[in-house]
Amino acid sequence: MQANNQWDWEINARHSWWNINVKEWWMYRHLLGRLVRRDFLLNYHQTVLGPVWMLFQPLATLVIYVVVFGKIIGVSTGGLPPVLFYLSGIILWGFFSETFNGTAFTFTHNSYLFSKVYFPRLIIPLSVLTSQVLRFLVQFVFLLLVITYYYFVWHVPLFVSFWVVFLPFIVLGVGLISFSIGLIFSVITAKYRDLGNIVHLGVRLLMFVTPVIYPLSAIPANFRWIATLNPLLPFFEAFRFVLLGQGTFTVLQLAYSAVFTLVAFFAALSIFSRQNDKIIDVV
Amino acid sequence: MSDVALEVENIYKRYELGTIGSGSLKRDLQQWWATSVLKKEESDEAVDRGKNPYLWALSDVSFQIKKGEVWGFVGSNGAGKSTLLKIISRIVKPTKGYVRGRGIISSLLEVGTGFHQELSGRENIYLSGYILGMKKEDIRRNFDAIVDFSGIEKFIDTPVKRYSSGMYVRLAFAIAAHLEPDILIIDEVLAVGDAEFQKKCLGKMNEVSQQKGRTILFVSHNMQAVKQLCTKAMWLKGGSEHASGEVTAVVNKYISSIQKAQLTQSWDTCENAPGNEFIRIKKVELVPLLAKPDEPVDIRTSFVFKVELWNLVDDQDLSLGLHVFSYGGECIFDVPSPSYVFNKGVIEGECKIPGHFLNDGAYYISLIVVKNTSVQLFYYEECLSFEIEDYRENIKWFGKWMGSVRPSFPFPLKQISH
Repeated sequence: MQANNQWDWEINARHSWWNINVKEWWMYRHLLGRLVRRDFLLNYHQTVLGPVWMLFQPLATLVIYVVVFGKIIGVSTGGLPPVLFYLSGIILWGFFSETFNGTAFTFTHNSYLFSKVYFPRLIIPLSVLTSQVLRFLVQFVFLLLVITYYYFVWHVPLFVSFWVVFLPFIVLGVGLISFSIGLIFSVITAKYRDLGNIVHLGVRLLMFVTPVIYPLSAIPANFRWIATLNPLLPFFEAFRFVLLGQGTFTVLQLAYSAVFTLVAFFAALSIFSRQNDKIIDVV
Repeated sequence: MSDVALEVENIYKRYELGTIGSGSLKRDLQQWWATSVLKKEESDEAVDRGKNPYLWALSDVSFQIKKGEVWGFVGSNGAGKSTLLKIISRIVKPTKGYVRGRGIISSLLEVGTGFHQELSGRENIYLSGYILGMKKEDIRRNFDAIVDFSGIEKFIDTPVKRYSSGMYVRLAFAIAAHLEPDILIIDEVLAVGDAEFQKKCLGKMNEVSQQKGRTILFVSHNMQAVKQLCTKAMWLKGGSEHASGEVTAVVNKYISSIQKAQLTQSWDTCENAPGNEFIRIKKVELVPLLAKPDEPVDIRTSFVFKVELWNLVDDQDLSLGLHVFSYGGECIFDVPSPSYVFNKGVIEGECKIPGHFLNDGAYYISLIVVKNTSVQLFYYEECLSFEIEDYRENIKWFGKWMGSVRPSFPFPLKQISH
């Protein structure tokens, strides 16, 4: 017994369900910072437009949506200017889908690294989440500028209420949901490589059942309950409500999403920490 | 007990062969459907899977390493050396057993861990440093030394994809050389880089282990390097410990076991023996003259080549020629015997090949039988083969020694002016 206490560390064969070592994460915080930096350098450093690319993607998507859904098909935007309506949906959805796509292949894309050196594996998906939060913040500032522009030039009324304090929680909720589902899928895509292709398709389809390009109010009332099963829905509606003053959600729905997010988060951490040692043997 | 830096206790590692766990979802679903929903005893596929063989990459390996010791791990490919290092580095989990240790552990299982091709040398020093477990202060403090050691000052802000492979390796090793863990794990990193750089690396390793008292675990196929750098060694064979202890003894045993040699061939009856109606070979043998039987054959070893043959014709003028070839097929030398007239019966011959003559490498012997010093009676090609291991003393360079022969002619130096 005494001998055991003298060791600094021990490696054993157990796979525990809760193997979260926050102290260790803290030791590797600089690695997280470097990985985020790497991400930005790789995406924006050697390009001509540089950081402008961060805005280019949502802007290009915006143009397509305004033309296709707004002008040609004529999807209702619930009385809001289409540009504001789509842009708010696009950047929040972009945050969700990029975080998910970045984390869902943690093992398959990093197996070369994981098989050569040890560090807490969670650092990789955490760095993806961090990069995406930063990218979202830049895009969000841009959204605020566009809203201000509409206020001064088109006299679209500004909507400011105490609900603004919920904004960080909405963003946090979307980030955690996509991070958590991404972690779970990182385990699945490592075990079943054939699912990798379906994952991308699934995310694209999920967008159409989430109020990104249409408001919930556009769905016939008798089908609305199905849509509300989607835990992302209240976040998107609330996001628009806080910024633009229009959105359909109840406090109960928000509570449902919050509980879903927390359950998914802890389940994901548990699955990830239990599976990550086993997966190294098979990837 | 307190001076033990690392303890490995009854480590087992089992890998499942085939693609279980990373196969297709369809197969796993069929499997689940058959056994759980249809309640079949076991589908054919399940039986197949049950038969799926295991591979025990390691079984029951235990050892203790004291602080400041340098251990070499030797063994053929697939003996479990790398798996063992991966378990100690926490990359894979053992199936059974424990590893316990004191202090920070760093592992170098490849060159340039965490490098990204698109990033500059500067960025990669930080990225790779953090991945290998360096602290911010360590990198800051050692940054100039790393750049200096690698010798790429001019290219530090160039993406590493534009580096030559030599520059890349030098930068990678420079980072590795400035790690300051208590326990360092190194796998075959010396296999790359030019001779000059290998010298630098091994020098650095020597310095780290001897002056800084670091505990090192080292896997290499370069036996000279293992002998020079390590104090202890373990020979792994088929996943378990075959021998361990003092480095020279273990490495010598290992070398003698892997030396692929056919040192003797003999025939009991004249009819089956190679040859023709004039002569037949009874026995060919190469005897290394070793002080102890389990010593490896190295460049210092002398050999005696012995041959016996049946002469089938009376009054025949015979002579022999001993041809030694490198494995590349180049004839190193051709030693003729004098010729004599023999009657029917058995003839014996012997030729001594001195030590400090052949360089290290693999060789084979062919034997020619000549009549009347001009007519070839029989040529027995590749009748024996042998290997010679390298041996060096007081030389800190481990690259391949050039040349087919390696004579130790006297070569004195003296100072003649100040």
